Amino acid sequence: MKKTILLLIMCLLLTGCTNKQDGKVVNVLNWSSYIPDEVIKDFEKEYNIKVNYGTYSSNEELLAKLSSSKDGTYDVIFPSDYMVELMIGKGMLQELDTSKLTNYRNINKVFLNQSYDKNNNYSLPFLLATSVIAYNSENVEDIYDYGDLANEKYKNDIVLLDDERITIGAFLQTVGYDINDYNDEHLEEAYQFYSKMKDNIKAFDSDSPKSFLITNETNIGVLWNAEAILAKEHNPNIKIVYPRNGYALSMDNYVITKGASHVDNAYLFIDYLLRDDVCQKIIDDYPYISTNKNTSNYSEQELKKILENGSYIKNVDENIKKFDRLWAKMK
Amino acid sequence: MKQKHSIEKYLFTVPVIIYSFLLILLPLLYVLLISFFKSDSYGGMIYTFTLSNYAEIFNITYIRIFLKSIGIALITTVICLFIAYPFAISLMSKKETTRNLLIKLVMVPFLMNSLIRTYGWIVLLRKNGIINSALIGTGIINSPLSLMYNNLGIIIGMVYTLLPFMILPVYSAVSKVDPNLVEASYDLGASKIKTFTKIYLPLTISGAFNGSLMVFIPAIGYFFITDILGGGKIMIIGNLIKNQFLTARNWPFGAAISIFLILMTLILVKIYKQLGGKMDDLGGM
Repeated sequence: MKKTILLLIMCLLLTGCTNKQDGKVVNVLNWSSYIPDEVIKDFEKEYNIKVNYGTYSSNEELLAKLSSSKDGTYDVIFPSDYMVELMIGKGMLQELDTSKLTNYRNINKVFLNQSYDKNNNYSLPFLLATSVIAYNSENVEDIYDYGDLANEKYKNDIVLLDDERITIGAFLQTVGYDINDYNDEHLEEAYQFYSKMKDNIKAFDSDSPKSFLITNETNIGVLWNAEAILAKEHNPNIKIVYPRNGYALSMDNYVITKGASHVDNAYLFIDYLLRDDVCQKIIDDYPYISTNKNTSNYSEQELKKILENGSYIKNVDENIKKFDRLWAKMK
Repeated sequence: MKQKHSIEKYLFTVPVIIYSFLLILLPLLYVLLISFFKSDSYGGMIYTFTLSNYAEIFNITYIRIFLKSIGIALITTVICLFIAYPFAISLMSKKETTRNLLIKLVMVPFLMNSLIRTYGWIVLLRKNGIINSALIGTGIINSPLSLMYNNLGIIIGMVYTLLPFMILPVYSAVSKVDPNLVEASYDLGASKIKTFTKIYLPLTISGAFNGSLMVFIPAIGYFFITDILGGGKIMIIGNLIKNQFLTARNWPFGAAISIFLILMTLILVKIYKQLGGKMDDLGGM
């Protein structure tokens, strides 16, 4: 018995060593439920590289994980727009060499050179999420923007995202300001609008707002585009609109961390995700907007319009406290 | 012989001491420490001493959240008391095997993660959920009741999750009451209510306070219940602390609220001790 245990331990130690020597590993940290397991398994089989896959559920969590672990712990991560900007500022990312990515050409050019990384020196776009309004057209009249949500008819009939920047940002846009505005008076106006529609809000939920629509708990929801599309698959009466006054854009990006210990494998992994068939598998399961021009469900013009009318959430530094205080006041 | 005994004592206590030191005391000290730092906007900290995090707590917005949390926790505690006493007293008249079985049933929910059980309530309470469908189906009501995504949902969730923590100490106190006293009370013509207020209550008050502490304190912090059954519309202290660490990236403020909460708890424990409660009962129920 002892011998077998000893042998087992030795085997484990040995495999641990070989893994390290060959460098047949890539350490990936990604959003939870964002890439189907199958895609990861296929990659491991095809390239014979082990993927150590971890997940996070907010950009802040990613930042905390990254800053609290030693350099080289993670190779590929998927921060959103403002977090990319922040991480570049903090020197946490390394410059990308697109010549190492044979599938770089698959990326639709409209998604490149976005405000948070002007020349895509550090990041490449992966998937685009937008906040949209979805409603059950059987029970609700046509809705065009957040202003319509204040209608007295929709008492206790709306679910909003449980995200202070996105939701307060939407109220700001409704009263005519920028989504990233933090002027005290403007925030107060946004709060006034909230007071008007307060009784219509049934819940704030970011985890699965689509279930509210699917189970008829509410007839109206503000949710991420992929969630809205999945809800529509359940109930074809659900209509999806991009609010007239604007909406939030959230682009998740491929980046490689500074001091990554498996840079070559990291490039292989990104290049694999850029492949048409792989990308198709991802958006089949999670129907966000694909940045791959060969697998997109949207026309070039539609994409341009979506990008033009939406706004990225930007870092507001110290002023985040204002949003936080207002959020606490709202609840 | 004596020496060997003390070596054994050390062998068994040292791991616990190391455990408490590394995993309880150190993190708490860290929380205390960062509550005096300034936050930078990136979620980091500036290592200069400040009391501003504690001052911020007294902002009217946060005071309101504190009061709301205390209100919800108080209501939860009172409801739990009202359920636990009749349950515990009625257990006393049961056969021992039935009694043991019923007490075990009280503990059965602990076998399953409380988060999953809370999600289970959604299926029961939602607009087209089991309770509403049954009530509409039998013609008792016409339109669905709002059972969740409001204060009611939160209270239901809190009472459900925390009830065992009230029943167990109350039961253990009630079971120590001498049945002869109760009998004497009835013989002298006291009503059930009078027997309760004159015999049970005075003799079991420390058990009741013990249970109340164990219900009240978690009820202030169980943010997942307000998130799930309150629909994220209502914020209690637990949600506020969670937000500081996860979304607002303001760890020092989150730490300050946590320390404030710990102080509140210590005051409650102090009151418990003044009432004659034993610390052993709190930990070893």
